[in-house]
Amino acid sequence: MSLHTDHRALLGVAFGGFLILSTIIAVLPAFEVEKIPPNQGLAAANAAVARGRALYVKEGCGVCHTQFVRNLPVDAPYGRGSVAGDYALEDPPLLGTQRTGPDLANVGRRQPSETWNLIHLYNPRAVVPTSVMPGYPWYFEESIDADPDGTIVPVPDGFKPAGVTIVATEAAMDLVRYLQSLQQAELAP
Amino acid sequence: MSTANDRELPAGHEIDTQRLMFAFFWWGGIWLLVGTLYGLIAAVKLYWPDAFVHPLLSFGRIRPIHTSIVLFGWSSFALVGLALFVVSRTSKVNLALPQAARLGMWLWNAALVTAIVTLSLGISRGPQEYRELIWPIALLYGVGLAAIGVSMIATVARRTTSEIYVSNWYILGAVCWMATLFTIAYLPFYQDGLGNIVIQGYYMHTAVGLWFTPLVLGTLYYALPRMLGKPIYSYALGVLGFWTNMLFYTLIGAHHFIFSPVPWWLQTTAILFSVGMMVPVWAGTGNFFLTARGSWPAVRRSYPLIFVLVGVWGYALASTQGTIEAFRSANIYWHFTNFTVGHSHLAMYGFVAFAIWGAMYGLVPRITGRGPSPAAISLHFWLAFLGGSLYITAISIAGVLQGASWVAGESFIASVDAAAPMWLWRTVGGFMMAASHVVFFINLWHMQPLTDSPAVMGERVPA
Repeated sequence: MSLHTDHRALLGVAFGGFLILSTIIAVLPAFEVEKIPPNQGLAAANAAVARGRALYVKEGCGVCHTQFVRNLPVDAPYGRGSVAGDYALEDPPLLGTQRTGPDLANVGRRQPSETWNLIHLYNPRAVVPTSVMPGYPWYFEESIDADPDGTIVPVPDGFKPAGVTIVATEAAMDLVRYLQSLQQAELAP
Repeated sequence: MSTANDRELPAGHEIDTQRLMFAFFWWGGIWLLVGTLYGLIAAVKLYWPDAFVHPLLSFGRIRPIHTSIVLFGWSSFALVGLALFVVSRTSKVNLALPQAARLGMWLWNAALVTAIVTLSLGISRGPQEYRELIWPIALLYGVGLAAIGVSMIATVARRTTSEIYVSNWYILGAVCWMATLFTIAYLPFYQDGLGNIVIQGYYMHTAVGLWFTPLVLGTLYYALPRMLGKPIYSYALGVLGFWTNMLFYTLIGAHHFIFSPVPWWLQTTAILFSVGMMVPVWAGTGNFFLTARGSWPAVRRSYPLIFVLVGVWGYALASTQGTIEAFRSANIYWHFTNFTVGHSHLAMYGFVAFAIWGAMYGLVPRITGRGPSPAAISLHFWLAFLGGSLYITAISIAGVLQGASWVAGESFIASVDAAAPMWLWRTVGGFMMAASHVVFFINLWHMQPLTDSPAVMGERVPA
């Protein structure tokens, strides 16, 4: 039997070798870390927050925003270093690999304002002039009624069609509730 | 040892193989144009965020469409087209079970069309790079992969040579590794909480290193000697590269999550073997350049060879850069920045796409007897080379500026402002790349075998 002349042997070694390596480096460690329990006090999300998270996933917010603070001085503005227990209840966990926008692991404490978040979601440039984040106007309604039902979003003139009032939909409110819920749990000493 | 230059073929050989190969090329070309379009829209939006405001074109939705289409569409189709041809040629038999490979092609197309629809609608598994697609689509793609693999393996099993040429090591390896990898990535049993991230690092990295890399290397171990008209410098180096690539590449995925809560030993192992990656990378690079040594006059006159050698150089650069990025000290400055985007384009464009184009331009006219004009190939080369270089340079500088801004402790928006001019240059490069892809598509038209013509049989040198 030679690997140079026996394709079964060659495939067998390539497949078997890869499977063993993958088991050691990925599957077994994954089984191990998924057992790590959630941080004390970390509770399952309420319905509105869970809906908001689904929208966050749907819109691909995690493409540009991490929820993963490294225990490094450069990451200090975003909160404490992330630990495995932060992610134990998350499916999927949203650590991410790109920070085209800032980390959001603790944004609920940094930017709790409902009004700011709603304006920012409608059009980020209305509050951060050089932001490159997309606006999500499809989660808002344009009302010609001067006093419509629902949460009115005080979008400045120039960032909305003239003469309309911007009203947040339930989806926009869910998304904001999710962002407000992103608060790192304090770790037990 | 069998060599890539043997070319006695059974009578009536490979008309079907050629047609099938070309069907993969056509779809690859179409997916390249689609994927490029999505890439361009994304690039434009990062500079003009209020352009094309529509849910179906929102940045977060189209970014995974771009990556899925260029990876699973363009690169995979083009490489499988080449690989089907290489396994048949080097085994000196017709492609076995071509129906299976053709079925795989249609399953892949179905998967990609549904991928665009679902991702546009925001139906996604979230920001899990290259496995954003929901499982039914992944299953469709996986079955397609298995069907293609069956055809390739059966071809090698029916070979009329005693030895299995080294190209086929890489190609068969790629198919069986990718099928295994895909299965591990989608099985849910160990992916709660951080378990998901351990698999994510392993998957996103290995998908590149044990699918695209070995398919390209397998193709080049046939194409380069064939184009230069001489044997490969060292067969043994090719075998060494094969095993070390499998060993080291599999172990380093965790370097995408350095300083994360992923176990520290896993991160350190990943960094360590990232250095080990220099063995297969320089074994392959050295082998290809030493094969080309002494043939520089021929290389200078041949854009197909220049494409291939730029691709080999891209392989060396991207891989060495990847090793450096894995170090913890470098990670502090580069991780999370656009530098990563530059790195992935250096790998998938500078290495993979250039090697594909070189192999296509070098091999296809020999077998179909038809080829684009040298001027058209050179136009493709210069647009792709200059556009790609501008793109990679600009986006890498953007990454360095972002990292420097963060380390300096500036407010976040300062890093956006610093990178913005580079995003404009990146877009200019992107438009040049897109133009080169249009030229490529036209060139593909000029290379295709004429249907029902006896001229497609056997090997011909273009006039």
